[in-house]
Amino acid sequence: MIEITEKEISLEEMLQRAKRDDSGAIVTFVGTVRDDGIKMMEVEAFAEAAAAEIEQIRSEAIERFGLMSVQVTHRTGRLAVGESIVAIVCSAPHRAEAFEGCRYIIDELKKRAPIWKKEMVENGERWVRQNGGS
Amino acid sequence: MMVKVRAFALFREILGKERDMDIPEGSTILSLLEAIGSASPAFREEAFDLSGGLKDYVLLMVNKKRIDPLNDLFLSLAEGDELAIFPPVAGG
Repeated sequence: MIEITEKEISLEEMLQRAKRDDSGAIVTFVGTVRDDGIKMMEVEAFAEAAAAEIEQIRSEAIERFGLMSVQVTHRTGRLAVGESIVAIVCSAPHRAEAFEGCRYIIDELKKRAPIWKKEMVENGERWVRQNGGS
Repeated sequence: MMVKVRAFALFREILGKERDMDIPEGSTILSLLEAIGSASPAFREEAFDLSGGLKDYVLLMVNKKRIDPLNDLFLSLAEGDELAIFPPVAGG
């Protein structure tokens, strides 16, 4: 399941959806708002296009790494330091594929999904550049 | 003909979230971008270099498909097409 949402991410629900009898490993990645001297972060997405791009990345990861289940949730809206921005849950028969698949998905998501982050700092605000962050 | 322009991140701050534009039949993606630049000097300054070329920093989709800025800017748009304008992505 791929979700772009303003609601808080429930990792527990994602884990429940990822559990399968044919999988012996579940790997999760959670990207959170880091305190780089910021007050808040605002996440903006071209939601339909981002969901389609992540769906494509999900298909690639399943094909390459033999993942049995992939859950991705990306938040939008205003987030405080420590809140989750993105969560990825991958299940696979063995841990190596689950780790590699999860890594592939977050790396590709950061490069390809039309999503942007803006940091609110003491003296104003700034858009986050590519390749920064979690 | 009417087309929709959607803008994100920095370009949304300049242009607003979306606007409908009435452009001549057969207009290209580039001519639409130039029309937006004529209406918004701030967009023109942000999106075009001094020689009138589109900056690398400007990414485009038509109907949610990526546009190659080297080859596709002279493709014609059709009634109801949606052009999305955004800077390099930075999610995750």
